[in-house]
Amino acid sequence: MRLKTRRLLDRAFSGMGLIAIGVMALALVVILTPIISKGTGAFVFRSTIEHRKVMSDHWGRGNADRVEKAKGQAAAARKPVYDLLSAFESELDTMPRAERKPYKKPLRDLQKALQNLLGPAPGARTPVLIRQQYGATRWDRAKIKLDEVLYTEEWDYSNPEVLGVLVKTPRVEQFCGTKLEPLFAYVEENSKPMMQPRWTFYWQFLFDTSKDSHIFGGIGPEVLGTVYLTLGAMIFAIPMGVIAAIYLCEYAREGRVISFLRICISTLAGVPSIVFGLFGLAFFLNTIHISDSKSVLAGALTLSLLILPTVIRASEEAILAVPRTYKEAALSLGAGRWHTVMTVILPAALPGILTGIVISMGRAAGETAPIIFTAAVSVGRPLLPSQVLSNPTPALPWNIYNLCTEHEAVDEIRHVQFGMVFTLVAVVLLLNVVAIIMRAKISKKLRG
Amino acid sequence: MLPHSKIKIQNSMTPPLQSSKRSLVMNASTSRLRRLGGLLGQGFLFSVTSLSTLTVFFIFYFIAKDAFPFFKLEGFREFFTSTRWYPSGDPAEFGTMAIFFGTGIVTLGAVAVSVPLGVSAAVCLSDVLPFNARQIVKPVIEILAAIPSVAYGFFALVVFAPLLQNHGGAVLAAGACLMMAPLLVLLVVVASDLIADRCSDLMRRKARWVAGLVLGAAAFTLMTYIGRQLGAIEIASGANALNVSIILGIMALPTVVSVSEDALQAAGRDLREGSYALGATRAETILKTVIPASLSGILAAVILGVMRAIGETMVVWMASGNAARIPGPWYNVLEPVRTLTATIAGDMGEADHVTGSSRFHVLFAMAFCLLAFSFVMNLVSEGIVRRSRKKLGK
Repeated sequence: MRLKTRRLLDRAFSGMGLIAIGVMALALVVILTPIISKGTGAFVFRSTIEHRKVMSDHWGRGNADRVEKAKGQAAAARKPVYDLLSAFESELDTMPRAERKPYKKPLRDLQKALQNLLGPAPGARTPVLIRQQYGATRWDRAKIKLDEVLYTEEWDYSNPEVLGVLVKTPRVEQFCGTKLEPLFAYVEENSKPMMQPRWTFYWQFLFDTSKDSHIFGGIGPEVLGTVYLTLGAMIFAIPMGVIAAIYLCEYAREGRVISFLRICISTLAGVPSIVFGLFGLAFFLNTIHISDSKSVLAGALTLSLLILPTVIRASEEAILAVPRTYKEAALSLGAGRWHTVMTVILPAALPGILTGIVISMGRAAGETAPIIFTAAVSVGRPLLPSQVLSNPTPALPWNIYNLCTEHEAVDEIRHVQFGMVFTLVAVVLLLNVVAIIMRAKISKKLRG
Repeated sequence: MLPHSKIKIQNSMTPPLQSSKRSLVMNASTSRLRRLGGLLGQGFLFSVTSLSTLTVFFIFYFIAKDAFPFFKLEGFREFFTSTRWYPSGDPAEFGTMAIFFGTGIVTLGAVAVSVPLGVSAAVCLSDVLPFNARQIVKPVIEILAAIPSVAYGFFALVVFAPLLQNHGGAVLAAGACLMMAPLLVLLVVVASDLIADRCSDLMRRKARWVAGLVLGAAAFTLMTYIGRQLGAIEIASGANALNVSIILGIMALPTVVSVSEDALQAAGRDLREGSYALGATRAETILKTVIPASLSGILAAVILGVMRAIGETMVVWMASGNAARIPGPWYNVLEPVRTLTATIAGDMGEADHVTGSSRFHVLFAMAFCLLAFSFVMNLVSEGIVRRSRKKLGK
């Protein structure tokens, strides 16, 4: 082969590596972009008057006068809609029965769509479910609801060769020549005065409890539950992990027993997370009955077993990275082994150990499978610290799964789902960035 | 032991020191006490260590304890040979072949995504990139590893699945073209060069051009043809094996990259320098010297990646479609599948109330299979790493 070709191949080879790294970075960007861009939408969004109503009714937030004023403006803008509806209803009453009938169902559909957009009509009975008491709280949802008022959607399956096609027809066609006809143009033009959209920073999303299965409110109980589980797992995992690392590095003499222990640790690291969940169920709950039902305690114990190998390995690495001269200096001054470990080696290894702990905290916060059977419930109140020993809790990872697969109105609460994923990912990434910075500092210190 | 004995000697020789309040020198009884304390402390450390490591046995014992009743109740045959999974039927059927198959195909897909990408990225990290660039790439890998699995699952279900379902053909075609284009260009250039080498000196230049053009046109036609074929595909459900394989592959990437990078680094500098001295280019050095030398380490990386993919729960539970049957032709990755982990996670909610029934125990039987498999895989990869370390003399 020519030298030139060989060089070209060489360059192509390097290029392939670079492409691989590029693909990896691209995957990271592609995965994080929607999570971040849509996740921030749970916090910063254009809220409608309905959102402000919910806030003031259920949390007592917002300036009461201003909310009343905005409510008044919105009601004024909405009045023609209801006037047109009642005019149409009285027109219907005058019609002969046969003509009246074809309008019955379209009218009911329209009223339903309007209720989804604006909330119940003034003077109507207050519905039982909170979700029916208010219209669309977010402007982006309101625009979709507006579309549903203006158009009817139907799936066309007439051509068997292709999948169903979505056909949108203007709803106004159903009411041609009636008093209701101008309603659609009015609604389309006056959607903003009717909904009063305004940019809002809803930071309380992080701390609010949810109302009516996450349709209103925030993710407070989930965040709190995740904090409990993570801290609980760390309480058990840190002492055990660090002690095990100290023993393995400083005390143990390499031999059969130690290599056996090491095999155990690496096996523990390889156990699938769902198996940890089953083990937690079988051991903590069904065998030693640590609590009557699922509980934060059982979940934290299960999680702590899961992150134990990570903590042990990170601590071991940190301890081994302490220069030998430190240890020798301490020993030569007459310090005992224990004394050396406590006063010289551990302080020197502490930043490294902390880095490992921070990373495993991120892991514990994000794991779902181990807490499914041991700690997590879909809906719950925020727990008091005194309840963690016996009560289950909602937690971010589990509720992300639950809301995007098992919730009855998956599309209505996309923003809550994205908000939860965003919160979880942000917490984990923050912990990791802290760890990366800490590690950079340590390596600088060790080098210089 | 040496310091203690010295202290004792000093002790007997210099009695006046004992009178001072905190003497530097221990008398015999303190020394004995200290030693006893040391032993006790060491015993405590040892017991904590072994407790935390012996958890593995607890896990094995308690999973097995609930798994064996299933085999006692239902026997082995149906579990391993039937594809009919109707745990709530009457009579219930517990054939898990299809579920094992789902796990297998999803894992294979994940390996197909993560191993080529991961190994080339590792090569690039260890041999191509300068130190500073490496410091930038490393955090990317760490962040990929840190993102919680449920976030990956959420992405697969909420973003990727609808994309596949609505624009499946276009996505497939674009992906395939992006992957094939660089490879084809490379292939054309090298092939035309090889052809030109066979011609006489006068014709060589012209021959290279002609061959390049002809081969390039052929490659382009091939690519457009494949692109068209893929573009015509319509995916009925975005929650399928392909979706999950790609996401699992991305999740397994960090493991594959970091372990195989370690292996490549371990191959050592002298090996590389020897190869360079013989006139090899970097690509030749890596392909013919470094990779063969670190092959076992790369194999260990692949095994760890496989374990990560097999043990993953949330992504497959959310985005694999959870259909417990073997797809049309078995290699059809565009159909939904169901895996062991997803079955355990999904069915336990219903089986929880009937503790003691075969429906409850079958999930433990599956978990036991997973556990045993990951244990064996782990031992194999440990063994490979240890042997290769011995071979490299480290």
